Amino acid sequence: MAVAMQVELLGIPRQRAGVAELEIEAATLGQLLDALAARYPSLADLFRAGRADRLGPFVAANLNGDRFVTDPRTRLAATDRILILSADAGG
Amino acid sequence: MPPGYHGCYLRIDVSDGSADHVPLPAGVLRRFLGGAGLGAWLLSRESGACPDPLAAGAPLIFVFSPLVGSPLTTSAKFAVVSRSPLTDRINDSLASSGFALAGKRCGCDAIVVVGRAARLSVLVIDDGRVRLDPGGHLRGATCGAAEKTLRTRLGPDYKIASIGPAGERLVRYATISHDGRHAGRGGSGTVLGSKNLKAVAVRGTRYSTWAHPRELTERSRQLSKRSFGPATAKYRELGTAANLLTFNRFGALPTRNFQTGTFDAAAQVSAEEIRATRTRTRASCAACTIGCEHIYSIEDGEGTRLEYESLFALGPLCGVGDPDAVLRASKLCDELGIDTISVGGTIAFAMECVERGWLDEPWLTFGRGESVLRAIELAGRREGIGHLLAEGSRRAAGAIGHDSIRFAPQVKGLEIPGYEPRALQTMALGFAVGTRGADHNRSGAYEVDFSAAVDRRRVTVDAVRHAIDTEDRAALMDSLILCKFLRGVFDDFYGEAAEMLNLVTGWDTSAAELRRAAKGIVHAKREFNRRVGWTPAEDTLPERFLQGALPNDPAAALSRERLRAVVDEYHRQRGCEEPSPAADNASA
Repeated sequence: MAVAMQVELLGIPRQRAGVAELEIEAATLGQLLDALAARYPSLADLFRAGRADRLGPFVAANLNGDRFVTDPRTRLAATDRILILSADAGG
Repeated sequence: MPPGYHGCYLRIDVSDGSADHVPLPAGVLRRFLGGAGLGAWLLSRESGACPDPLAAGAPLIFVFSPLVGSPLTTSAKFAVVSRSPLTDRINDSLASSGFALAGKRCGCDAIVVVGRAARLSVLVIDDGRVRLDPGGHLRGATCGAAEKTLRTRLGPDYKIASIGPAGERLVRYATISHDGRHAGRGGSGTVLGSKNLKAVAVRGTRYSTWAHPRELTERSRQLSKRSFGPATAKYRELGTAANLLTFNRFGALPTRNFQTGTFDAAAQVSAEEIRATRTRTRASCAACTIGCEHIYSIEDGEGTRLEYESLFALGPLCGVGDPDAVLRASKLCDELGIDTISVGGTIAFAMECVERGWLDEPWLTFGRGESVLRAIELAGRREGIGHLLAEGSRRAAGAIGHDSIRFAPQVKGLEIPGYEPRALQTMALGFAVGTRGADHNRSGAYEVDFSAAVDRRRVTVDAVRHAIDTEDRAALMDSLILCKFLRGVFDDFYGEAAEMLNLVTGWDTSAAELRRAAKGIVHAKREFNRRVGWTPAEDTLPERFLQGALPNDPAAALSRERLRAVVDEYHRQRGCEEPSPAADNASA
């Protein structure tokens, strides 16, 4: 069942969406990304490149600043904060 | 000789102006390729028993590659290889653009400079003919001014690599600048300065051939098209400075000399804020389709490039949250010709020493942009406290005493880039074992920390293979040479690299052969270091990183035992036999 949760955007996802934080309803990581892409179409090409069973390679998703997740089927809880960021941390 | 190469290097002794073309065996080219790899081989061959990186006999080597001059995007790059006056170990720094193209057209695959000119000079290489021009009139000139003056005098065909005042004064982390970009780390500019050379000017007409020009052109077109896609979006749209807010969110933004991993004023100096409040233009290196350079306006007119590493080192690391001060500081470093990471790290270290009462420079305190600017100026010109700062944090710690080496932010003497080791522990391993010291360009282990492959705050021996993979890949990219910002566009990097190399050279190399070559190049660097005194004890981190967690993140702690375990495993997998005392010798 979809629940509302806080999503933080960093790097290119933030730049393109024009917001740093928002609330999204989703049950899984895949649903969350679909909802984000629907709300901000400029994010779609960042998400589209991933395989069906795996996020990436251009963006990364992290739960609560602790654990990176790649499986779109990852279940999300209302208490989760989801961080969506550019996958490439090179500088 | 295979296409893509000239099959020789130009060896110049600036003591007497003599020059020779020395043949390069085809087998060496196939094993070491070019750039950093061929440079490591040449450095071993040319160094002899020279004990001092700044001695006249010590070589400074400019190295091109088989891909330089091809239509492959980002391939107009060159490596500068020497023994580092900062670390006493191998140093290979890279830069881009016309100097690489014109240098290779001089008819050689590398330029080896030895000796010392009698007075400040400009080394001019005109299609392989060598002369020394007087350079006294350029004494004290900034990198940009020296390049502009020489271009006006010699003509636009010449491409010029120069040092600024810092290189002349042998600041140990001086850069070599070309077209506003720098071979930045480890003191390449110091070595050029020690040879009494203000600049090297090159032009030439000797083009190398390609084995399969039509297929290469088509392959290049495809690669350029892919380089416009999402894999490089970060570099085009925000630049590397986009890292700052991300790292701050993860508690991985080195702040106040690595005392913490978050910075209260991060938003003020973020790429997003600077972009919103300043005029911005974009630029590219020659033969590059990515366009990663973001040039921001500053109050006094001319803009300046800003990269994450300069932003972190001159901002949060020194506690500075004033974006204008950071931009001005970055520009000042460019003008003086000094490495922003090393000068920022050394200043931040000095600020902490002032805070503890060990250094009597009350103006040099965290958070003051004007202090950073003043300290850079003094360091770049070796005036006052600048004599100490110009030595880098390791030597400064030795002079200050109080066991301050515990928190000097360096590995092997090279200041640590903007990745907090306790929060990014695969990167911590990469820093500890780096052949040129703490380095994010020779180890991309941070990529592993920002993935699901590891727990970034609890490194285990499983991370070692990942760290080795990123190190090997970097070695190959630096030898081909291709820009690392391109790495995300490859689905099968080694396979595609083999294909590109074969189109240029006519070889039948394979992904497997290039994997072996990459490992061989890393091995060659480690062997050079071993020859000049490296011991396993050097592969460690300063004591600060091994004593407790980051204040803002209790989970971000790296114990001495854990570091020792992964460093030992790294040595085992790299084929080093000696067990490492690693963290027991944190200050080594």
